[in-house]
Amino acid sequence: MLAGCNGGTVDRHALTNDGATLDSIACEGALLASDVARGRTTTYFAREQAEVLRIESSNFADALSRRKALPSIERRVREKAKHAAVLAVTLQRLHDHPSDRAVGAAVASALKKLASCT
Amino acid sequence: MSKALGLGLGIIAAIGGFVDIGDLVFNVAAGATFGYQLLWVIVVGLIGIIVYTEMCGRVAAVSGRAVFDAIRERVGFKGAVVALVSSEVVNLMTLAAELGGVAIALQLLSGLPYRWLIAFAVLAFAVVIWVTTFEWIERIFGFGGLCMLVFAVVAVKLGPDWGQVGAGFVPHIAHTNRLLYAYFVVGILGTAMTPYEVYFYSSGGIEDQWSPKDLGLNRANAILGYGLGGTLSFALMITGGALFLSHGISPQHLGTVALAAEQPLGQVGLLLALVGILFAVGAASIDTVFAGAYNLAQFCGWEWGRYRNPRGAPRFALTWLVLLLLALGILMTGVDPVALTEYAVLFSVVALPLTYVPILLVANDKAYMGRYVNGRFANALGLIYLVVIMIVALAAIPLMILTNVGQN
Repeated sequence: MLAGCNGGTVDRHALTNDGATLDSIACEGALLASDVARGRTTTYFAREQAEVLRIESSNFADALSRRKALPSIERRVREKAKHAAVLAVTLQRLHDHPSDRAVGAAVASALKKLASCT
Repeated sequence: MSKALGLGLGIIAAIGGFVDIGDLVFNVAAGATFGYQLLWVIVVGLIGIIVYTEMCGRVAAVSGRAVFDAIRERVGFKGAVVALVSSEVVNLMTLAAELGGVAIALQLLSGLPYRWLIAFAVLAFAVVIWVTTFEWIERIFGFGGLCMLVFAVVAVKLGPDWGQVGAGFVPHIAHTNRLLYAYFVVGILGTAMTPYEVYFYSSGGIEDQWSPKDLGLNRANAILGYGLGGTLSFALMITGGALFLSHGISPQHLGTVALAAEQPLGQVGLLLALVGILFAVGAASIDTVFAGAYNLAQFCGWEWGRYRNPRGAPRFALTWLVLLLLALGILMTGVDPVALTEYAVLFSVVALPLTYVPILLVANDKAYMGRYVNGRFANALGLIYLVVIMIVALAAIPLMILTNVGQN
């Protein structure tokens, strides 16, 4: 659940869940970008799916940067917000260039580094 | 109608009923979370829907009464009102979710704006339902939905560990995260046995003018049609386990399901998956909008049926038009169809007893059924499933709260 949606303070549990969701978004984006790099997807699909993932990570970035957090984890929450913002920017590149194989390869590499994707 | 054509009813009910947006969401997410451990739940749901579909089809063929007609007579006016309101609310939520799924599939295929595509989908369905015969609706959506079979190929091509897949068919309880496991058990059973399937199926049987000589066709429809739907559900869960679990992906979007087909099969796989999803959720949209209109018309004693000209059943036609417009209004608020699906499935689970108890009662009533009354085997299965239905109905809302709608 997006931390910003529960209306309360971000605690360790929420941060862990949000971190896992961000990793999932990054790994899915990496999979999609790899397909763009190999010419195995369609332009419309890559563009629209990248946009869905970008919006989701952008919402996380916004929520994690604004919500109150427990003092003991506040720094980690703000770092996670920056991480989400980087993710959103990277996915925006894929959205803007959904048929560019070079961009696909670069985005896939960047997203794999942002999360521990296998 | 030829028997081969009659099987179309089973196919559309299976593709549109067994594999709808709820199945896509719950089966793939369950695979991505627990691997193949929940395959046995699909088997349980599959047998349950076959048992009750066969039963309500038999009631329709023998007595000429659809499910809601029987509910009204067996549980009385007050009980029927409760059943009607709950079924209509769940139907409307499901219809909105399915139409949202149609718009998402169209968007992923065309790149056009989502809200335009919602309006287009609603308009297209209104026109198709108004001008197209029931047989052609069955043919178009039933056979278009067969593109979903690409997921069976995908599941094999992804090279799952077949030993683990086999182990997943043995009922067991998870060692960790038991609440979330139970949430998925309830969700998968709910998607398999969702009430609109039997409402649509039994009313469709009456539309097709079934009689006792069609009981063989009814049984074949139930077993073959839902068997096909169940196979697709297995494939979806195996795909989730083989691809998403290993990549650390928790699918939250309909497009993620299609992405799975792209991995082993490239663009062809992607396009087949998107077209299959489009027709499967499109068929489910038709099922749900008709189920809603059938229920209200049967409760109120109006003329109903797709074989009638809209002028011959004006209030029935007005009902499905209003349902489409209400679903349009819900989607235009910006609600996420996938999230709506999860709520629709869980609320439908709560309403399951109101649908299935009257079916069992009527199927045992000699005044209705004569010599076609339930046998011991059908009764034993029916009773076992009633217990299962009661348990999941009681557990659905607590599990939804405790797991934060499956989020943790």
